[in-house]
Order: sequence, then structure tokens, then C-alpha cells
Amino acid sequence: MNIVVCVKQVPDTATERKLRSDDKTLDRDAADGVINELCEYAVEEALKIKEAHGGEVTVLTMGPSKATDTIRKALAMGADKAVHLVDDALHGSDALSTSYALAQTLKKIGFDLVILGSESTDARTGVLAAMLAERLGTPQLTLARKVDIDGSAVTIERVTDYGYDKVEASLPAVVSVVEKINEPRYPSFKGIMAAKKKPVETLGIADAEIAADQVGLASAWSEVVEFAAAPPRAAGTVVKDEGDGGAKAAEFLASKKFI
Amino acid sequence: MDFSLPESAQAVQRGIAGICSRYGMDYWERCETEKRWPEEVWAELAKGGWLGLAVPEEYGGAGQGLLELAVATETLSASGSAGGSAFTYVLTPGFGAMTLARHGTAAQKAELLPKLATGEIETCFALTEPDAGSNSLAISTFARQDGGEFVVNGQKIWITGVQRATWMLLVTRTIPAAEARPRANGMTVFLVNVPEAVAAGQLSYRPISKMGANTTPSNMVFIDELRVPAENVVGELHGGAVVLWDILNPERILLGASALGGAEVALRVGVNYAKEREVFGRPIGSNQAIAFPLAQVKAKIELARLMLYKAAWAFDNRLPCGTEANIAKLTASQAAWEAADAAFQTHGGMAYSLEYPVARLLTDARIGKIAPVTEELLLNYLATQVLGLPRSF
Repeated sequence: MNIVVCVKQVPDTATERKLRSDDKTLDRDAADGVINELCEYAVEEALKIKEAHGGEVTVLTMGPSKATDTIRKALAMGADKAVHLVDDALHGSDALSTSYALAQTLKKIGFDLVILGSESTDARTGVLAAMLAERLGTPQLTLARKVDIDGSAVTIERVTDYGYDKVEASLPAVVSVVEKINEPRYPSFKGIMAAKKKPVETLGIADAEIAADQVGLASAWSEVVEFAAAPPRAAGTVVKDEGDGGAKAAEFLASKKFI
Repeated sequence: MDFSLPESAQAVQRGIAGICSRYGMDYWERCETEKRWPEEVWAELAKGGWLGLAVPEEYGGAGQGLLELAVATETLSASGSAGGSAFTYVLTPGFGAMTLARHGTAAQKAELLPKLATGEIETCFALTEPDAGSNSLAISTFARQDGGEFVVNGQKIWITGVQRATWMLLVTRTIPAAEARPRANGMTVFLVNVPEAVAAGQLSYRPISKMGANTTPSNMVFIDELRVPAENVVGELHGGAVVLWDILNPERILLGASALGGAEVALRVGVNYAKEREVFGRPIGSNQAIAFPLAQVKAKIELARLMLYKAAWAFDNRLPCGTEANIAKLTASQAAWEAADAAFQTHGGMAYSLEYPVARLLTDARIGKIAPVTEELLLNYLATQVLGLPRSF
């Protein structure tokens, strides 16, 4: 089975994240780039499926050249090869154009199963899997906490507010995973060393037949009009318990419509 | 001249740091308080092949050297385990795997190295005796030959990790110290199967209550008519000193690496507190009395690291490394102590509260000045062996 895992490099959540003042996009140079945490779960799931059913795991990432670190991390975990979609024209792409660019690339490299993390820690739109499936004309199985493959059928347990739904589809398909699905492995020494020698194919937009006027900041459907630093946290309300602390706490919660 | 770490050592940094990122200071504090082995981290180290870094590839290891082991120890220590927990890593990947890879017989290597690489078995190292600490050649634990076996009697102290070890590297005299010419002659190193020896009543041990480094117990060991087959000799009969130097130099380097990691932790803790803690309306780190000791420590850490990597490099290239190993151990341990002391002082009164990690870091750092060899003996080595000054002893 040909499994493609889409991974994304995001700014380290442990550092201060910033937007650029000139074009209001993410300032990727201001923070260390790390693999998006949920992408590690996606890689782990792909590796597990490969171990059980055979095949090959390809890592696909769209991002600036420094995203190679993230690719190497996924390769060190055990993925076989990688495709890096990198082009200045992609800078500032929103979710819609990102899904277009990735879909074009996926059509070019081929796939039986595409696995993604259900969202990234930077933009957190959580819509990419759905958009990608739509563009590829395949079933979408999102928010999976469990994935089973049986022949050409894929079944997942989709996390819901009330528990889970069992969703079944036929391959090829797009699956997004949540953190409940597995425990990502740490790269081993041999994995890290081997990752340096695994093939990474670099594609520009022309290579993937991506139309320049469909991607990038100028083509984005969403626009950042203005941004500001989050206001400092206001002083909290201190309720002194004079025998009526419970009632006061309940009043407060009711006033905020929590209860 | 190229100061960049080889890719293999960078891979070690990344890999170990990756594992440790999920186990912070709190984890190591808990292990220390509960006096327990860091099983979770150990299991991950085993799974990723990190225990077999120095095991040759043909025995299932990664085929790396002391530099990679030192970087692993430093990274582990810098993640928060600090000096006290570094023995976790030194006992088996260092003492066991490193030594057997270089000095084991073909049969010993084939039998033990694959299991050491996976962590299936562990090792400990028994040299120090109640009457022979710094003066290693004066040990009196004696092995007399009896047919195809040796019979060993004696006592050891400060033997760390006996509880988990399947095999002990036991250093003995096969020619008494008084009769040996030269003095280093007549030392023999044996592999002793610990569980079997304990079951046979030929070896027993008793943990020593100690002030820190409690993730791994250290013991008194009593050896009574212990029978060891002749094929368990590591290296040459009477020629154990060669093996011993190849244990003691790496030990200095690895515990130096551990101290260096401890220094990094202490510096980090101290600097963070100096940035956050405000007194008289400004962070205390803006006072040079607070800032300079921390800056001084930074300088010493970087210097010690250079010597440490150089010493490991020399060992891996089979060059003499005694001077480098001793300087690295001396300076890294001093950096660790000064870092812990600076972090402690920076914390002011709160340093004394066990809610902050600095008290543990101070305790951990102190051991570096006395173990596995005292600072004074390291200085003696430099004075007599390197500078050629007359001996006082």
C-alpha cells in the first residue's frame, strides 16, 4: 500500500509565536520550527499500517526550505521517503490554496491512503483533510482514534461529542487522526542516521502542475486585516468565603452562563 | 581544525533529547525521592538502540564510540536527571558494553554484547575497596587459581548497580600488590554472574545509605570463596591493568559528561530564576552580583566541554587520553559545582526549600568532586604525571 503522510512544520509552541508586520503572515524565522505534534501521530499510524500490511510510507510537506528538519524527523521515525513542496509562490497560502497545492502534488505522486493530523498548532483550522478529500474526489474519514485496513476497505472510529462513530469507506481515502490514536515512537539511533540517506524529492509549483494564480498570499480567500498582541490577563475576582462561598461561586458561574 | 560534532553525535543529541523532552525535571525529582530506577526512560533508551551505542554493529549495536556515549550521558543529564542519575547510563552502555567491545574474548562478546545492546542484561563494575579507594593498585581482593577456575575472596565498597546487574566486572589481584613488579602487574578482571554467585552464597551485598544519587543504589559487596571459570577473565591474566585504564578513563569522561549536563541544568535553573524573580522592582539577574557568577559558569562549561570531547575523541582514536580525561573530569565537575552553587545563591532563601530543584542539584554536583576519584587525585595526576613534580606519596 502506498501511504502518504502529510506533515507540517510549525513554530514551537514553547516559544513566542509572532506574525510578520509586513504581510501579516506567520513569522517562521522568529521561532524554532518543529514537527506539528499531531503529525507525529499521523506518521506513527502510517508506520503501523505499513508494518501490518506492507507498502511504503511517503512524507509530504509543503513549507519553506527549513521544513527539511521536519521531514528528517518523520524519516527518522521510519518513513521511507519524502516529497518536499517548496516554492516562494506558496508563501501566504491559506487552507483552501494549501489543499489545492497538496492535492495537485498527491495526484502527481499517487497514493492509496493519505493520513494527516487533524489540525496544526499554528493555524488550527482543522479543515485540511476535508478539503483535500474533496479536491481528490476520495472519501474523507476525519478525527480518527482508530484505523483499520481490510483489503481495500478502511474503517475508522471517528471521535464525537457523544463517543464515536464507526465510519467505513473504500480506498483510496483521506484519514485524519487525533492524539488518542497511538503513542508516537521516538526516532532510534539507526533511524536518525538512516534518515540522512533517504530520498527527499523537492518539487516546485511547476513540477506539481500548481497554477501560480491559485496559491500564495494574493490568492488567499481569507485575509488578515489586523492583529494585536493578546491583552494582558485582567486581575481575577477574589471571592471571600463568609459561609456563602458556594453560592457566590455558583452566582459567578451562572453570570457567565457556565451553569 | 573542525569543531563540529560528527553527525553520529548530533543524532545522539537529537534522539536522547527527544526522549527526555517527555520526562522533565519533575520526573527525575520523583525518581530520586522514591529512590527508584528511571524505568520509563530506560525502556525508551533500550527501544531506540541507545544502550548499544558502543556495541559493534556485528553484535547488534550502533558501532559508535565513547564520544557518542559521552554526548548521550551529557544530554540525559542536561535534560534534568543531572549528575545523580547519570550512573543509569554509565553502568551498562559504558562499563559493560564499552569494555567488552574492546577487551572481551570472542565468546564473551558473542554471548553478552547483543544482550547489552538491547538492555536485556545489565552490568556493574567492582574495583573500590574499603582499604583501597584512590590507590586502585593496592586492592587486596584476591583470585587464586584452582584448576579451570579461580576462587575469589575479598570485599568491595561503593559498587553501584549490583541489584540490577547480571554481570559484574570484578577487579582482583592475582599477584598480591606487595609482590607485583611493576605494581600494575598481577591485576585480573573477571566477569562474574551476579545472580548465580548470590544464589550460591558466594557473593552478597548491602546498600549504603547515601546523600544523593539515589536512583541507583551503591553497595558494600562481600566475596566469599567465589568460584569463577577461567574463561571469564577479561583481557589477560595478570594483565588486567590494561583493561582497568580502559574502564577508568572512559569512566572519568562519562562522569565528566554527566557533570557537564548537571552544570547545564543548574545554569538553566539559575538563569531562569534570575530573569523571573523581581526584587526592588527589577529582575535580580540585572544585578551583576547575580549575573556574573552565572556568566562565569557559562564560560567554564564551554571550556570543560571542549576538553571532554577532545578526551573522548582521543580514546576513540586509541591515543593516550589520561591527561585529557583527568582535566575534563576535573573541570566539568568544578563547573557543575560552581553552577549549582551559583544557582543556589541566585535562589536566595528559596534555595533551601525542597520545592525548588536547586538543593538536589547542589547535592548531585557535590559528588563530582569526590567520585569516581577525588579532585585532589586528579590534580596529583597532573602535578606528577604531566608536570613531573615530585610525588608526595
